[in-house]
Formats: sequence, structure tokens, C-alpha cells
Amino acid sequence: MRSNVRIRTSAIAAAAVAATAALAGCGSSDSGKDDKSVTIWSSIDQPVQDGLNKVLTEKAKAEGITIKWQKVENINQLIMQKIQANDTPDIALIPQPGVVADIVKRGKAYPLDDVLDMTALKASMTPGTLEAGTVNGKLYGFLTSMNVKGLVFYNKEAWDKAGYKAPASIDELNALTEQIKADGRTPWCMGIESDTATGWPATDWFEELISKYVGADGYNSWVKHETPFDSDGVRQAAAEFEKLMFTDGNVLGGRKAIASTNFGTAGNPMFDKAGPKCWMYNQGSFITGFFPDDIKNDLDNKVGLFGLPPATAGGDNPVVGGGDLAVMLDNSASTKTAMKLLSATDVGNEAAKGSSFISPHKDFDVANYPNETTRSVAKVAYDSTAFLFDGSDQMPGEVGAGTFWKDMTSWIAGDQDLDTTLKNIDASWPAS
Amino acid sequence: MSTAVQAPSARQRKKAASFDPNPAKAGWLTKLVLLLLCVLWLTPTIGTFITSFRTLDDSNTSGWWTVLWTPSAWSSMTLDNYTQAINGSNMGNALINSFAIALPATFIPILVAAFAAYAFTFMEFKGRDVLFLTIVAMLVVPNYVALVPMLKIYGALGMNGTFAAVWLAHIGFGMSLAIYILRNYMATLPKTVIESAKIDGASHFQTFYKLVLPMSVPALASFAIFQFLWVWNDLLVALVFVGPGENEPVTIGLTHLRGQLGQGWNLTMAGGFLSMIVPIIVFLALQRYFVRGMTAGAVKG
Amino acid sequence: MLLEKFGVAVLTVLAGIGAALLLFWLLNKLAELMPSKWEERIKPFFYILPAYLAVIIYLIYPAIQTVVDSFRDSTSTTFVGFENYSRLLASSGFRSTLFNTLLWILIVPAATVILGLAVAVLADRLKPQSEKLAKTIIFMPMAISMVGAATIWRFVYAAMPEGQPQIGLLNAMWTGLGGSPVAWIQQNTLHLNSLLLMVVLLWSQVGFSMVLLSAAVKGVPGDTLEAARIDGATERQIFFQVVVPQIKGTIITVFITVTISVMKIFDIVYVLTNGNFNTNVVGNEFFNQLNTNFNNGAASAIVVLLMLAVVPIMWYQVRHFKAEEANG
Repeated sequence: MRSNVRIRTSAIAAAAVAATAALAGCGSSDSGKDDKSVTIWSSIDQPVQDGLNKVLTEKAKAEGITIKWQKVENINQLIMQKIQANDTPDIALIPQPGVVADIVKRGKAYPLDDVLDMTALKASMTPGTLEAGTVNGKLYGFLTSMNVKGLVFYNKEAWDKAGYKAPASIDELNALTEQIKADGRTPWCMGIESDTATGWPATDWFEELISKYVGADGYNSWVKHETPFDSDGVRQAAAEFEKLMFTDGNVLGGRKAIASTNFGTAGNPMFDKAGPKCWMYNQGSFITGFFPDDIKNDLDNKVGLFGLPPATAGGDNPVVGGGDLAVMLDNSASTKTAMKLLSATDVGNEAAKGSSFISPHKDFDVANYPNETTRSVAKVAYDSTAFLFDGSDQMPGEVGAGTFWKDMTSWIAGDQDLDTTLKNIDASWPAS
Repeated sequence: MSTAVQAPSARQRKKAASFDPNPAKAGWLTKLVLLLLCVLWLTPTIGTFITSFRTLDDSNTSGWWTVLWTPSAWSSMTLDNYTQAINGSNMGNALINSFAIALPATFIPILVAAFAAYAFTFMEFKGRDVLFLTIVAMLVVPNYVALVPMLKIYGALGMNGTFAAVWLAHIGFGMSLAIYILRNYMATLPKTVIESAKIDGASHFQTFYKLVLPMSVPALASFAIFQFLWVWNDLLVALVFVGPGENEPVTIGLTHLRGQLGQGWNLTMAGGFLSMIVPIIVFLALQRYFVRGMTAGAVKG
Repeated sequence: MLLEKFGVAVLTVLAGIGAALLLFWLLNKLAELMPSKWEERIKPFFYILPAYLAVIIYLIYPAIQTVVDSFRDSTSTTFVGFENYSRLLASSGFRSTLFNTLLWILIVPAATVILGLAVAVLADRLKPQSEKLAKTIIFMPMAISMVGAATIWRFVYAAMPEGQPQIGLLNAMWTGLGGSPVAWIQQNTLHLNSLLLMVVLLWSQVGFSMVLLSAAVKGVPGDTLEAARIDGATERQIFFQVVVPQIKGTIITVFITVTISVMKIFDIVYVLTNGNFNTNVVGNEFFNQLNTNFNNGAASAIVVLLMLAVVPIMWYQVRHFKAEEANG
């Protein structure tokens, strides 16, 4: 027995050495900063990432730089862990300005004002997009891809046949809703269920209405909690939301179905074979990716859309949207170069072709967009008086991904009244 | 592991055969209860399994069960979800990585834990209870709290992104439960046998290796099943310590199929079914160690 | 390249086990070289050393760090005393979170043990092939990841607006019986939705208790059963008077393990409701404090509360030891 063990262990010890040696060669640690390679992390959809990566890699090659672009799950969480451990990629594309601000607070992000050509960017970028990544007066997050929210989608064939017209003001939107209902139809599709993030589509609706009522400045003041939730602008938005969504007969399935209907499939009854079961669905530009295949493949003929109208016709008309902010976590020359390349207008040329990617650059060649639908989405953004980044993404996590979602959901589900909802959200704002 | 376990067990299975492996026969009530449980347990999975062969539009507009009585729906069943999942996640490479992570992370902690469990069960020493209870208490600590401290240590050692980083993490995280389960199992082994071995002059090392380890095979096999399963299905530890890239396991590969807003769940589901096959095989393979009379055989042998 | 990786894995398994054996053998030798008085004293510590090193690095050290962080602010930079605790305990949201967690602790461990034991004992009476099949079916959900389980159960609990075809099994049956669709996951009357989430956990975790209990049931010596049978005992008597006493240790092990894992349960709640509709539990709150609010302080305080809550369990375990030793 004993000798047996001894023979085996010595053989195994040799194997152990071999394995450790093999391991050492196997590990791909990028802690040793190779100045000619830039690591980028993002959580954006694969086709968009592939498109951006393709153009960027080619451009970087000319500068002698290798790009390593990796798709990671839940970048908001992962990046905070990696930052605390000082083990970060060189550039990260962060979807939440709130997280960008947190990274800046921890002193791990480098300002981009000196890296990028700010004058050129101010001319090129959609108004408001640079502000979205600005913290304490400096640009830290550069919006690389964007999506537009507050878009009302409809079934184009049925819509044209019924002769409905896009409204020019919120009053007209109310009138349109009444008209559709008077025709014996259900005006709105609505659903806010989204697993872990249930409630966000409702907060989007809210943000859009608030921005229309109080304008860009009022919106930004609300997002920073200088104006509380329990305030006139928010209550005005709530009253409008209530009128459109809670009135009997306005929403497919009624108020009680809103919280349990998935946002991704909520719009599909518009395309029912027997004619629309509901007629309008307000969502972000990305929702086209959730439509049934036969609709997706023929967007221009099957789908129409208009931007949520301003409070008064021709008035201040900001648009709310989201996107991914490129943050520089390393200040080597290569990373700066990569950042510069990433801020060029044509970096999105490939990404636009095969996805719902929308460039934040006004001077982007719209011929790159794959269809009219995407072009009209981009037009809504480029024509807006200001691009406002999704408010819940800018608020602290406790509110923006916490009470704002949850209390809105409780209100919509009928579990609590509006007063309690607004008070709860205000109370949850962290004292910083 | 394999040598340590298999050698004695082959001997015992022969012994076990001399027992009636099935002393009590199942009555109709037993069969009915089990059948009911199995149906309840299977239905959700079967439903999703059927769904994994349907197009997204179909599963959004009609229940999976309608397929069962609508033969016309069969023709629209498709393997698309599977082919896309396999290609989109680079599954071949990811499967190898998953094995490379799961095998060492399963087998190494078992042996280490078994030694500790032996000491906690059969040896007298100062502070034994306190040391053991500390381990039990650690069961309640979520893995999350260890991630940042470990990232820092690994960073200092240049270990981030290597397989070894994940192995060690899984060994550490699984150790607490391994010791707890094995120690409690060993405590049920007949003490008289161990004491008589001692009287015969066997050292602790011999008692452990020749007597306790073979007698603990069912517990070792149980823990091996769980640890393999947890490591195989782990996304968190792999994501934090290996990250995406050439060393990524299946769990990370599958996340590439999902969009930022949850699109592509149909592909993740199909990929999930493929990845599930491996732990099931492990379960079936290790199930042969749960045979009546196994420990009894060892005691007598 | 692929084969190389696989080879490394296999080599590592062999090397790791070999190295472990070698290490233990060396430690054992080292102990034997000592004067015999020391040998017996030092040997146990040598045996637990490697395991304890792993536990110290991966669990105890982070746990201590957590205790320290629980007295610091959200970024763990300045000390704030008991502020994290007082703020947590004062919030009414956290109190209902505690209550929900208590419900989970009261229901899930008991149900897991009972179901697992039922399957282990009942399947034991089937023919080997049927037993294997039944146990594999019960075990299968364990092999499914949490995200997968969430998708699976969405097809059970989903609700579509009235008039649309239902794709959730429960609502299809409910509307088939003439009801109007119910958003099951939102029904918190009598905590129905929490119970429905517990069903998901039971579904996925009964396999755990079944495997351990089945191993224990198989370990009950056949001769004790035969003796009881010869004495004319009924199957029920045999189960309660012969089998249960012999596997009591395993039952307690499973019960405590499940209790502790339920105390920190988070993934099922996170993926299905994220604590909406009054289903929040402590583990989910911890996760959100850490990963959504980036509040290390509050997250750490929650973990410390959990560690304190384990104390009664450990106390029970000590008593169980003593009883065991007295009997053994």
C-alpha cells in the first residue's frame, strides 16, 4: 500500500509540474499593459458591436493598434467590481450615465475634453448627447450609439386605410385616442413587464411626457432631483398618463393587464392577422426587433411611426433616448487614439447596415441605414430641439433602477395611489 | 479520485448483489404518487423543450401544448434555435472550456474536504467544534462579497483570466459545504469499525484511505454531482475571473446570444438544453454509487 | 488547441489530486516524525490545514472585510458607525423583506426535506430502471441554470391580456375553466406570489435533498430492515422506527443546508420579480444594494445580519454534536 502510494505520487508530481507550466502559457492576462493594444468592453447587441468593431479595427490597424472588443454581460455591475479591483479594460461602453458618474466619483475615468476635438464634435453631435456624458463640467462618457424613445408605432396598412393622422400636440393625441375609441377600436397597446427590470417602459413614458411639459431645463432639474417627483410638471405628466392608459377601453386588456404584459410582445397585437387589436404602441427604436418576422422583414410597408408630439403644436420638442457611453479607463496614447477613432462620424457605417443602430452624429450618412423606418427614427432625433438621456438611467440606482420602476409598477397595478407613489420615490433619493 | 473510489467499489458491488437490492415492493399508491410527482416535475421542462423547436412568433402567439394536438404545427417546428445557438456561442470551444473549468474544480476540493471531514469526525483536538462551526457559518456568506477582494489578490498575482483563478475560487466557495456534508455523513459511520481498526494498529492515514474513504463513497458521489453541477452552470465566478474571450465557458458563450433588452431568450434556451446534457450524464454515471448495501459491504469487507 | 485545453484539465485533475495526496502524506509523515505526544496533537491540524486555508482565503477573509465594510459608507471610504444598520432596520420596506424571508425559511426547508425524502424512499421500492428514471426526472431541474428556470416558469405563470391566446400554462387552464386571466406573479394576497416563487425553488432544488437522502436511505443496513420485517413490522413502522432514526443525521444536514441557502436566496426572486409586488427577500435586497445602488455599506450590513441569524442554527448544531457523541 505505502510503496504503491509513493510511486503514484511521484508520477503525479511530475504531471503537476507539467500542468502548471501549461497553465502559465494558457492564461491571457492583460495586466502587463501592451501599449499597442486596446481592450474594449460593451454589452451592446452583437450585430452593432461587430459593425463598430469592424470599422474601428481597420482604422486602428493603420495606426498600428490592435483592438480587442469583447461583449460582456451586465457591464454596469461587472465594471464596478473590476474598478474596485483595479482590473479594467481600456475603454468601456456604459449604458447608464449614473454609472459613468459613479466611476468618475471613484476617480477611475479620464476626461475626454483634451482627447477629442470638442469644437468639431459640438457641430457634429445631436444637441444634448455630449451633455449626457458630462460630469462636473467635463466630458467623461462619449455617446457612441444611441436609441430614440417616445416613438409611437402603428400598423401602416390599417392606419392609412382608417385615415388617422399623426398628432401635432398632446391635445391632438388625446383627440386621436378618442377618435380611435369612437371607431370601436382599442387605441393603445401597453406592457411594462420586463423580468428583473419590470416598470422601465412606464418610466420612459413618464420621462417623455415630463420633457414635453417642462422642456429640457426643467427635465434636467428633475433628473438631478432639484425638482422633486411631487411637483407640478410630474403631476401633469401623471395626469396625462392616467388619462391615456387608465381610461376604460383605451388599453388592450385594460389597466390591470399593463403590469403583466411583456413590453417586447405588447405591440404585436397591432399586427394580428384579423386586423389590429390595438392601434398604437409607444416605445423605443429598438422595439422593431421584437416585432413578428413578417413585419420585421418588411418594416417600411408594414410599420409607421411618429414621435410623441410636443405639448403645444410647434413648441419646444425635446426627445428622450438612451445609448452607450464610451468611458476611458486608461490614458495611454493607444487608448486615446482609439477613443478619437471611435468618435468619428463614419465609425457607425457598418453597424448601421445590419441593425437598429442609430448614430448620434447629425452628419451621419443616412444612406447607411437599412430602411426608411430607421431613417425616420433618426430624423426624429436629429430634428429634435434637444436629446435628453433617459432620466431613470441618470438617477442614482436606488431610484432609477429601484423605486422609480417599482413604485410606478405598483401605481399602475392599482396597489397604491399617485400621492404615495411620488412620496415614496422622493423619500428613496439617497442623501449624498 | 477515480482510483481511490473505484477499486473498493467494484469489490463491493459484488457483495451488494448478495443482498436483495429491493426488499420492499412498490404498491399502486407508491407508483401513483411518484408518477404524479414526475409529471409535475417534467411538465414545465417539456413545455420549454417543445418551445425550443418553435419559432419565436409561434411561441409568442400560442401555447406550447397546442402543438400536441395540432399536427399542422409540426411542420413549422425548426432546429433554427439550436443551430444559431451552437454557432453564435462558439459552443464547441466553450464546451471544452467548461470541462477544463469544471473537472478540476469538482475533484480537487472533494479530496481536500474529505481529509478535513475525517479530522473533524474521528480526531480529538482543541477548538474542534469552534473551527467546524465557523465553516458552517460561512455557508451563509454570499459569494459576491468575495469577488472584489479576490480580484485584488488575483490582480497582484497576475492570475486574472486564467483557469486556475476559477478553479481555486470554486474550490474555496465549495469547501464549506463539502466539509459540512462529508463530516455529517462520516459521523453516521459505525464508530466501532474505526476503533477496531485503530486497535489493529492502523494509522489515521490508513484508516482514512482504506476504510473511511471507501465507506463514504455515496456522500462523495453526491457532493461530486452537486459541485460539478454548480461549477458547470456558474456564470458569475466565470464572468468575473475569466471574463469573455477564448477561455470562456458555455455559460458566458450563451450570454452573447442575448440582446441588451432580453431578445434572443429562445436561443439561450436551446443552448441551455444542450449544455444541460452534460450534468445529467454525470448524474447518471454517479448514480451507480447509490446502491443498497454499499456501505454495509465496506464495513464487513 | 482544444485538445490541449482538455488535456490540461485532465492533467490538472490528476496533478491536483496527486499533489493533495502527496501533501497529506507529507504532512502525515511530518507529524509522525514528531515526538508521539505531539504527533496526536498536531495531526488533526495538518489534516484540516489545506481545507481551512481555502476557507480562510475565500470565505473568512472576505467575511471579515464585510463586517468592517458594514460600518463604512457606500464606497467603503469613511466610517459611519451603525448608520447602515439603523437605516436598514428603520425602513418599512426592509421589514417586509425580512418577513418574506422568514416565510421562505419556514416553508422551503421543510418542504424540500419532505419531498426529497418521499422520492428517495418511494423510488427505492421501484425496479432499478424505474427508480433511475424517476430520480433523474426529479433531479433534472437542478441541471438547469437559474435564467433557464426563469424562462421555463414564465411559460407557466405568464398572463396575456384578456382575449389574447394565453401562452402561460396556468392561465390557459384557468381561462379554460372560464376565469379571466390572472397575473399570478402579482397576486400578493396571502403572499400567493411568494408561494409561487417558492414552488420554482422547490422544483429546482428537491433534487438536492433527494440525492443526499437517497444515499442515506441506501446506507441503511439491509439486515436491520430484514430483522424488522421478520418481527412483523408494517412498512410504515419500518420507515418511522428503523429508517428515519438511522438517517436522522442526513435529514438534519439537508435541513440546515437548505435553511442556510434559503436565507440568502436571491436568483429566483431576482429573475422573476426582482422583489416587485411585495416578494422581496434579503438576498435580493443585498444584490441590489451591491450591484444596482453600488452601496457597499448597506450590502455588507445585510450580510452581517445574515451571519448573526445563523447563530441559532449553529447553537442547534452544537447540541446535536453533543447528543451524537453521547449516543455514539
